Amino acid sequence: MSILEVHNLSVRYEPRAHPPLTAVRDVSFDIAEGEFVGLIGESGSGKTTLGTAVLRLLERPGRISAGSIVFDGRDITHLAEDELRPIRWRDLATVFQSSMNALNPVTRIQAQFRDAIEAHSQLRSDAVTALVRQLFEMVLLDPAFLTAYPHELSGGMKQRVNVALALADRPRFVLLDEPTTGLDVVVQRSILDRIRSLQRERGFAVLFISHDIGTVLDISDRILVMYAGRIVESRPAAALLADPLHPYAKGLLGSYGDPRAETVHLTYIPGRPPDLTRDLVGCPFAPRCPERIARCLAEEPPLTPVGAGLVACHVARQQRAPAPGDDRTGVPERTRGFAGPTFVRSGEPAATERGPTILELVNVSRVFQRRRGLTVHRMTAVDDVSFTLARGRIAALVGQSGSGKTTIARLVTGVDRPSSGSIRFHTPDTTVEVEKLRPRSLRRYRRHVQMVFQDPYSSLNPTLTLGYALTRPLQNHLRLGRAAAHARAVDLLETVALTPGERFLNRYPHELSGGQRQRIVIARALAAEPDLIIADEPISSLDVSIRAEILELLHKLVTERDIGVLYITHDLLSARMIADEILVLNGGRLVERGSALDVIRHPADEYTQMLLDAIPNPFGRLSIDTI
Amino acid sequence: MKYFLRRIAFFLATLWAAVTLNFIIPRLEPGDPAEVMVRKLSGKDAQLDPAAVKAMRAMLGAPDGNLLRQYVRYLDALAHGDFGLSYTYYPYGVTEVIGHALPWTLALVGTTQVLSFIIGITLGAFAAWRRNSRFDSVVTLGSTFLGALPAFWIALLLLFAFGYTLGWFPTSGGYEDSIPGWNGAFIGDAVIHSILPAVALLVTTSVAWVLGMRNTMVLNLGADYIRLAKAKGLADRDVALRYAARNALLPSVTGFAIALGGLLGGSVLVESIFDYPGMGRLMAEAIGNKDYPLLQTLLLFIVVGVLLANLIADMLYGVLDPRVRRTPA
Repeated sequence: MSILEVHNLSVRYEPRAHPPLTAVRDVSFDIAEGEFVGLIGESGSGKTTLGTAVLRLLERPGRISAGSIVFDGRDITHLAEDELRPIRWRDLATVFQSSMNALNPVTRIQAQFRDAIEAHSQLRSDAVTALVRQLFEMVLLDPAFLTAYPHELSGGMKQRVNVALALADRPRFVLLDEPTTGLDVVVQRSILDRIRSLQRERGFAVLFISHDIGTVLDISDRILVMYAGRIVESRPAAALLADPLHPYAKGLLGSYGDPRAETVHLTYIPGRPPDLTRDLVGCPFAPRCPERIARCLAEEPPLTPVGAGLVACHVARQQRAPAPGDDRTGVPERTRGFAGPTFVRSGEPAATERGPTILELVNVSRVFQRRRGLTVHRMTAVDDVSFTLARGRIAALVGQSGSGKTTIARLVTGVDRPSSGSIRFHTPDTTVEVEKLRPRSLRRYRRHVQMVFQDPYSSLNPTLTLGYALTRPLQNHLRLGRAAAHARAVDLLETVALTPGERFLNRYPHELSGGQRQRIVIARALAAEPDLIIADEPISSLDVSIRAEILELLHKLVTERDIGVLYITHDLLSARMIADEILVLNGGRLVERGSALDVIRHPADEYTQMLLDAIPNPFGRLSIDTI
Repeated sequence: MKYFLRRIAFFLATLWAAVTLNFIIPRLEPGDPAEVMVRKLSGKDAQLDPAAVKAMRAMLGAPDGNLLRQYVRYLDALAHGDFGLSYTYYPYGVTEVIGHALPWTLALVGTTQVLSFIIGITLGAFAAWRRNSRFDSVVTLGSTFLGALPAFWIALLLLFAFGYTLGWFPTSGGYEDSIPGWNGAFIGDAVIHSILPAVALLVTTSVAWVLGMRNTMVLNLGADYIRLAKAKGLADRDVALRYAARNALLPSVTGFAIALGGLLGGSVLVESIFDYPGMGRLMAEAIGNKDYPLLQTLLLFIVVGVLLANLIADMLYGVLDPRVRRTPA
């Protein structure tokens, strides 16, 4: 019995200032009572739009342009708001993407439960309070926070509140739209585990939207894969994991791996999703597809049954369920993995020989003090940390948020100074003590130390051309003339595989995709010919499908150029992929260090073990060797 | 609680600074006010008569003794509400002169400020809630248009249309035939006299609230907690008032309190145009007649008003927005 049926749903955005686009196109699926369905896809694939449409929360200029949504046998596609209101929250509840901001900042948490409960039930006053208490206990929150305001809660607690709130009226369907994005891995894990066990207990159906493939695979019964506004594959999770059919699904799955494996292969999908404002001919994935045949370019594949699932791919269908009369010439062999580019990291150490030390931290601590009246609050962000980094090596600084990773980056770049200890930067000629630098020498020092930031969307000035972004450091640090700087900028662009470089010089950041922007940021960091690069979560804001690509680029560049890299991340998989060494930070202390493979495969510290346990491991069900 | 105490301490400190500046600045100015007065009375070229200057000093109660003693005496006088004598209304004291003007201004400007805030906020909230509707277009365009017109110009227009041409309302003053006091005739008279200035002020001050409120609320409507409130299936009224308007109100409250602070200074232009016996007209007179004691006191009043209003705004903000109240430990 389906609780939710979506038939041929299309959603169009028709803004006044921009060309209209079809964000969701001809989508059909259903969700059975109590089923946990995952929805994955790159950003811009229409996942959130689909979710919003299902909840009937689309706002102009978006509208449902075709198809229907049937909830529990009732067509809700065109119900008026007055008719929808009674079924909202009682039947259809949600936890939003940015639910950090989903609570009204000026009212107490209890009141926000109360209005949702009172709007849909006969419960009043004390009965409501009792229910809210129960809900709090259900998500493992202290009921003392009932009377708190949202800003008094941490991100993880707010998210638990949102989960509890979604379940307040015992809904039969809950949409989870990236409910844990932006939270710490460990917190994320505990919240998702709680959601899943509540879902089993209470039997509500879930549509779980996420771009975190590992988590979705781990937690869902069935998975929908979305690309360019269409569902391209719909399969039980185990089947998808064992044998993905659509090349795009293969690509997404391939971008995730188990860092504990001896050899880790990560694939990535070059190119970018199609422009949805244009009419598409053929399969929308064809331009990026390594398995495409002539037919893919001419004819869009329909979503057809193959085995226990559905797939929209000519090649997969002909491989698995050929129809009589199919022309099978040119159809490639069946593969499990994505036949595209792969970044491989094997278990053997890359270079046993250590180059000369470039960065040395000796007993570095940073204590923040805050004065409030007569009392002084001290917070130790970095606590007696010592390590060294050699040329040509990548050291990953791993830890939860608040572990002091970013503070260390600020200390090494000289933006902030340590409270005690010393940071030494070695070049063949001299040694610099970073904490003692004056502004002028600090400027000289920074030529040697460059940053790659987390968010390529905010680390490039949107009003200046890429050429400007790249030639500035060349002129500032290397004192190149205009022509020379220009030529070097083109070289740099080619180095980060943006070819031909000439064509990018006069473009603006908004014309590029996220992955391309991050390449520019990397090129900019390389421009001053630094000896040390600090990369602060350089891939965490990128789509999974292209993360491996950026990692591979970073890895290749630093080994080629003999640069030392301090790679800051909370993601052990990416640390495993590029780092030679892993340093684990917990509450400002260095709790474990060692070669990347050792730390991940044989963690000695409890905290490292906890971080590893928080990694979703859908592959546990498969044998490691098949991956 | 700590928050409120901190705000009060801050208020007292600023108040003291303002009062002290008010004491120091005139003493830094070159020239002796008594000499200026005598020269003015006796004509430009006449010889300054030291005796006349001395007499003038005595008459004005000019300060003597060292600076510290003057300062102590000044604070003492302030505490007793003694602001000296007005030159314009000599021999009346400044306190008395202001005492006559203040009720008029409080009644006129105070009422219109409160009304215009309420009207402006309500219109703005409605326009935002029904954004892109006809109501929204009319309100938004209308306020932009009216907001571009200066208050005195609207006042002149009203005076011309309803005062002179149609003759519906009196054209100047605060009252006419009645005797001031708490009697029906006087109050009715005063109300009729205040209608035109009130309308002029209402029109110009409310439009600022309309646009401010509408814009913050439109921004707020895109916030996640509004989407969630809608998803919860709450009634539109609840979403609009308790979620959207409640949050959008916050910045306007500060603006409102500051506007109320300016209230003690009255509205110079509108009051002058209607010859309304309030603080604004008094200020215009004080400036015109170089009436230093009066002017200084008026300025002090404004400063204190603004400070008080800020204090109230801070307090109110603490009540309205829990985020500013508690500082994390």
